[in-house]
Amino acid sequence: MQEPSERTQSAPPSDDSRRRFLSWLSRSFLGLWALGAAGVVGVYLKAPEKREHVAERLARVGPLGEFPVGEARLVRHGITPFYVVRLDATRLTAVSAVCTHVRCILGFDRERRALVCPCHDGRFDLAGNVLSGPPPRPLPTYEVTVRAGDVFVHLS
Amino acid sequence: MRTVPRAWWCLAPLVAAPLAAVLLAPALTAAQPRAIPQPATAPAAASAAAGRCGVCHPAERVLFDKSGHAQEAVHCTSCHGGNDRSVDLAVAHGAGFRGRPSRRDIPGLCASCHSNEDRMRAYNLPVDQYALYQTSGHGRRLAKGDLSVAVCSDCHGAHDILPPSDPASRVFELNIPKTCGTCHGDSATMKARNRPDVFRQYMSSIHAHQLFDQGNRRSPTCVSCHGVHGAAPPAVGDVGKVCGQCHTAERRYFVAGPHRDGLLRAGRSECASCHGDHGIEGARPQRLSTLCAQCHGAGSSQAALGGALWTEYRGAAQEIDKAVALIDRAEAVPIQTEDYRARLEEARTYLREALPAAHSVQRETVEGFTLRARSVSSEIEHEIYAKLGNLRTRKFVLLVFWFYVLVTIVVLRRFRDRGARVK
Amino acid sequence: MSDPGRDDPATPSRNGWVGWLEKRLNLTEIFSFLTHFGLVYAPVDTTRPVREVVRELGNQPVPSYTRGPRVLGLLAAILFALQGITGVLLAYYYRPTPEAAFESTRTIVRDLPAGWFIHQMHHWGAYLLVAIVALRLIRFFWDGLYRAPREVLWWSAVIMAWLVVQLDFTGRLLVWDSRSYWSTVRGLEVVWAVPIVGPVLAFFLGGRVVNEDVLIRFYVLHLLVLPALYLAFLYFTFATLRRVGLSTAGATPAGPTTTFRRHLYSMLILSVLVFAVIVTLAMLLPFRFLGAADPYATPHGIRPPWYMLAPYALLQKSSMPAWLSGAGLLAAGLGLLLLPLWTRREQGWTSPQRMRLWGVIALGIWVALSAAGLLIDRLQVPR
Repeated sequence: MQEPSERTQSAPPSDDSRRRFLSWLSRSFLGLWALGAAGVVGVYLKAPEKREHVAERLARVGPLGEFPVGEARLVRHGITPFYVVRLDATRLTAVSAVCTHVRCILGFDRERRALVCPCHDGRFDLAGNVLSGPPPRPLPTYEVTVRAGDVFVHLS
Repeated sequence: MRTVPRAWWCLAPLVAAPLAAVLLAPALTAAQPRAIPQPATAPAAASAAAGRCGVCHPAERVLFDKSGHAQEAVHCTSCHGGNDRSVDLAVAHGAGFRGRPSRRDIPGLCASCHSNEDRMRAYNLPVDQYALYQTSGHGRRLAKGDLSVAVCSDCHGAHDILPPSDPASRVFELNIPKTCGTCHGDSATMKARNRPDVFRQYMSSIHAHQLFDQGNRRSPTCVSCHGVHGAAPPAVGDVGKVCGQCHTAERRYFVAGPHRDGLLRAGRSECASCHGDHGIEGARPQRLSTLCAQCHGAGSSQAALGGALWTEYRGAAQEIDKAVALIDRAEAVPIQTEDYRARLEEARTYLREALPAAHSVQRETVEGFTLRARSVSSEIEHEIYAKLGNLRTRKFVLLVFWFYVLVTIVVLRRFRDRGARVK
Repeated sequence: MSDPGRDDPATPSRNGWVGWLEKRLNLTEIFSFLTHFGLVYAPVDTTRPVREVVRELGNQPVPSYTRGPRVLGLLAAILFALQGITGVLLAYYYRPTPEAAFESTRTIVRDLPAGWFIHQMHHWGAYLLVAIVALRLIRFFWDGLYRAPREVLWWSAVIMAWLVVQLDFTGRLLVWDSRSYWSTVRGLEVVWAVPIVGPVLAFFLGGRVVNEDVLIRFYVLHLLVLPALYLAFLYFTFATLRRVGLSTAGATPAGPTTTFRRHLYSMLILSVLVFAVIVTLAMLLPFRFLGAADPYATPHGIRPPWYMLAPYALLQKSSMPAWLSGAGLLAAGLGLLLLPLWTRREQGWTSPQRMRLWGVIALGIWVALSAAGLLIDRLQVPR
């Protein structure tokens, strides 16, 4: 009611601007509460990624004798499952089982020696290269070593 | 009618006999063996099997009555011949008496029943003992005429033969080292044959410690490695196979390494070259740093590799200890720690696996385990440090927070009262 | 009054977005939703623009609820809101199965950033809330605020206090550590022992044996059913408050008055203080829990929750026959609830001064019984 008249009778501009500055300062100070609360809640709500423990970067998948030639075995390794394929008597390869299109899990086609995605029929060869279909990127492959009869896969 | 007997000497036998008996009694009794007083502890189940031999041989009778043979209608005469119905020496030791069998004949004597399948089938006992014995070190020497080697009775006893399942038996598992040790632990005998005192060596070993002190019945005795009736030392090239029956992981890693062929070529045994054969000590990983130099020389690359393996192992073990100390510290706060301890068990398992892996003397193989043990421990440490650090900063943050609260209240009051002022 | 040019919804105002919304939405109607929950005391004319309505409301005189004993209800509401917010945040990570309950709680408290903080705030907020609603009940009783026309107020207060205690009871089990599990088991036994009402309550709580079904049931009660009931009774409380007010019967209805705007600021200051107190408690006195609950191992010295110690002493430990003690407890409970009805006479046994005396005696008996419940266990359990 009296504000407009008070405004016309207001103090000199420096006072006014100082009051406005103080008002802005106070409001932003109070706004820090909102920032703090948002920060705490945000940091709390961030879903913890299921961190793969470092020790699991080297996966032991079993004795060599359990991998028949020409067969692939799916190893359910956290969020990075992979196939271990025995190519012949002396060579093994490990390739990711997660399709690079929309992350479906690939199936292994024994006759064609290829990995096939059930979602959109993307195909990969055993080196991870895309043969056909929508996947945009090749599959990552992992190093396989055999030590003392056990097969180890290095994921990194 | 004649009233006086025709000849008074007809009455003579009637008088003489008792007189003679009275006069000759001492002499007659003297001709008999002295009446030996019965032993104070009469055998409870006086077996009929022993017949009357025990009258003269009471000690043997007592022993025999305890044995398994006594319950199974084996008589003294089965082994010794003679007649067990009579106490007359001439009769008892008469026809068919074999007496004490000679040492050379003992195996054959026992085998007369124990290699007979028809006899042994009912007891489900094996019948190959004699055949095995003949292939053994003892059997071969006996055949060549060495009578001081062990025969059946040396190990099983002569009269007090008990089954191996009986803890009082000389061939009960825990008693076997002592039984073998009567010869193989007798320093005079062994020295004469130029053999080491393996009994003493074995009794100081980890195997004996496990068996006798820890009650671990899977730990080997003499027969576990040497065989029972066919006992013989394993050939140099076969030692690894013997140890590998139980220590399978170590053998697998060892065979994958360079030592196997090397030792074979050098004519040395696989496991015993480093660990010894009878006086085997428990695993001490620090030996890795000094052991390699014994064969390869002090400055060699192999000795350096041994040192590196030990350093690797020790580093991982220290990391685990550090994590344990940290977990205890966290628990005192208190912070819940059971899952940390469970993960640490995982780390310990990796570390434990590094020891068999060390037999491959390949660095990457061992590091595969020690690095994983380390990384699990350091992850745990990292997480706990973060939480402990968190606790410290809380008090400081509280002070800052209160300062903030007070300023906020002042500001809010000003906002509130400013409205009043305007009004 | 107000500048028509400034407040015309058709004219873009200095803060244009309010005007932009005003043209598309009846902001005042949305704002009037707040009146249902007591934030505003006068009816709101939803035909007028919101800024005008707000400014007018701000200048209205209201009794000062942030002074003296009247603050208790406000505090309870603030605490309840805080519990709701922290509870929702906790529910993001909590998993209500016996296998995962303790683990998820441990994850929240130990592994998540700021998880301990939210959990502690929820824990201390609960303690404070129970204390405040109890105090509020005592204050209503003391000041005679249960007599006509405030019966509904009294019933709302009693039921809300009971709901808060139930919230505490159900929430306590969710941690699923050994202390809370066994304390709930004992608490359920006490509930079951109350005649007539007990088995009915236990039916809703899920029976006698604490297993995974009971956990889920407690979870649903704690998160959905009990808060919804509480909000319903909060609604009733405000509806009746607006009608009958909180002034002591007979006295002039003049506590200190203030404008609504000032009242809001005072409420904000109060909230900040309450928040700060809880944060301090949360940081300095963290809640410690024992290991995960094991249904096959009972630790020593676990008692029923503190508010059940008196019924526990009465029903399970006294040598009175069960029907007598149970009937006594039921009578006391009913007497408390139906207080307004049997104190209609203002003279004699039910005069205000006498009622205060009875109240003190009843409270004394309750405290004595609780102490007895505490001590009996301590004496019996060898330490």
